[in-house]
Amino acid sequence: MRASTRTVPSERVAVALRVLGVASLVGVVATVWLGLFVTPPDEFMGNLVRLLYVHPPMAWVAFLAYGVASLASLLYLWPRTRSERFDRLAGASGEVGVVFTGLTLVSGSIWGRPTWGVWWVWDPLLTTTALLFVLYLGYLALRRVPGEFHVRARRSAIGALIAFIDVPIVYLSVEWWRSLHQAPTVLNPTTHKTYVHGSMAWTLLLGFVSFTLVYTWLVAHRYRLAELQDAQDTEGLEIALAERRAEAVGR
Amino acid sequence: MSDIGPTGVTTADSATGPGRPGSSRDGFEDESASGEAGTALSAPRRIPRILSPEQRRQRRRLEVAGVVIVAAIGFLVFKGLTSAIVFFKTANEAVAQRATLGNSTFQLEGMVLPGTVHLIRESSGTTVGFVVESSGVKVAVTNTGSPPQLFQPGIPVIVVGHFVGASDRFASDQILVKHSNSYIAAHPNRVRALNGTKR
Repeated sequence: MRASTRTVPSERVAVALRVLGVASLVGVVATVWLGLFVTPPDEFMGNLVRLLYVHPPMAWVAFLAYGVASLASLLYLWPRTRSERFDRLAGASGEVGVVFTGLTLVSGSIWGRPTWGVWWVWDPLLTTTALLFVLYLGYLALRRVPGEFHVRARRSAIGALIAFIDVPIVYLSVEWWRSLHQAPTVLNPTTHKTYVHGSMAWTLLLGFVSFTLVYTWLVAHRYRLAELQDAQDTEGLEIALAERRAEAVGR
Repeated sequence: MSDIGPTGVTTADSATGPGRPGSSRDGFEDESASGEAGTALSAPRRIPRILSPEQRRQRRRLEVAGVVIVAAIGFLVFKGLTSAIVFFKTANEAVAQRATLGNSTFQLEGMVLPGTVHLIRESSGTTVGFVVESSGVKVAVTNTGSPPQLFQPGIPVIVVGHFVGASDRFASDQILVKHSNSYIAAHPNRVRALNGTKR
């Protein structure tokens, strides 16, 4: 039966996951230390600049998570590569993406209050990001609408791809429309020259790397949980079938 | 999976269905919940449809139509938003559109001119006056309430408010401070780099 042979991960996978977990933790701690104690205050923002080391990496992870979810959904929809694994991966990545979109909105709001003067403003970038959050919440809800495995998975995959339309809109909104939010410092869609001072740039880079590691670690564990849930369901069915057969013989 | 035989139900249709692993899972759970153990596995609730080539074609057509509709909606939303979302008007635009704007509320953007910022204390509270400039056009702004922490001359701001009477003076009740995407250390000479050198 499916999944039952894959419930126990190999030793190597377990070790790799543990190493990944430790690396993420070290990365995040180092980012916090550099961000809070080593890097200098900004000439304009002062200490508020320290949010730079977490807010953009969070947004990046959200984008990455939705990218992976969409890719996995595409691979699921493509008949030649269709596999339950891709459905699980899409679900795991989408879930982590929603968490990080939420964190992006919250950290951005905390940053906006002292810099702009407001917690929230209906600026194109903020509005499309809020839409992104709601779209993928909808995707997670869609995943839980009951149905036969492949019907449900296909429905979810299409939902994930529709929701992804908003990702490039969020990314390019600062370019297309007038915005209060500044253009991205890293991965800027335009060729505008940006400037980040020495150790601030390195800490920002470290933030990106360590948040990406955290993402990978979270998705790996969430994927594994989904796998176990599926295996448990299958096993439950097998036990029930065996019981039912025994009943028939007994009669 | 195909031999749910003992119950004597013809499962031929469902068994020949193309690749449906785990399909009876939901059916089983739902029906066992109803408490009738005897009929628990008697009939898979969902019998897969085997599509004829004609139905298949129809379905494909429906899918293509769906994609076209979604793309069209996306395009319309984009076009609509592009023309409708104008988060702010720059000072020169606002002055040019002075007649049509009347006394309506909108967001005005401009650079705070150095040397123009002055606090006015009134019995009703703090008011700050300054001049914003964009492409050489200047607009005098009076803002009611305390400006945000980072408000200072020489930075771009967005003020929310309206023109006063028939004049070109602007009354606002909110200042939003714009920030660039560059980050520069304050007092770079006092910063010690990670390798111990000062820069």
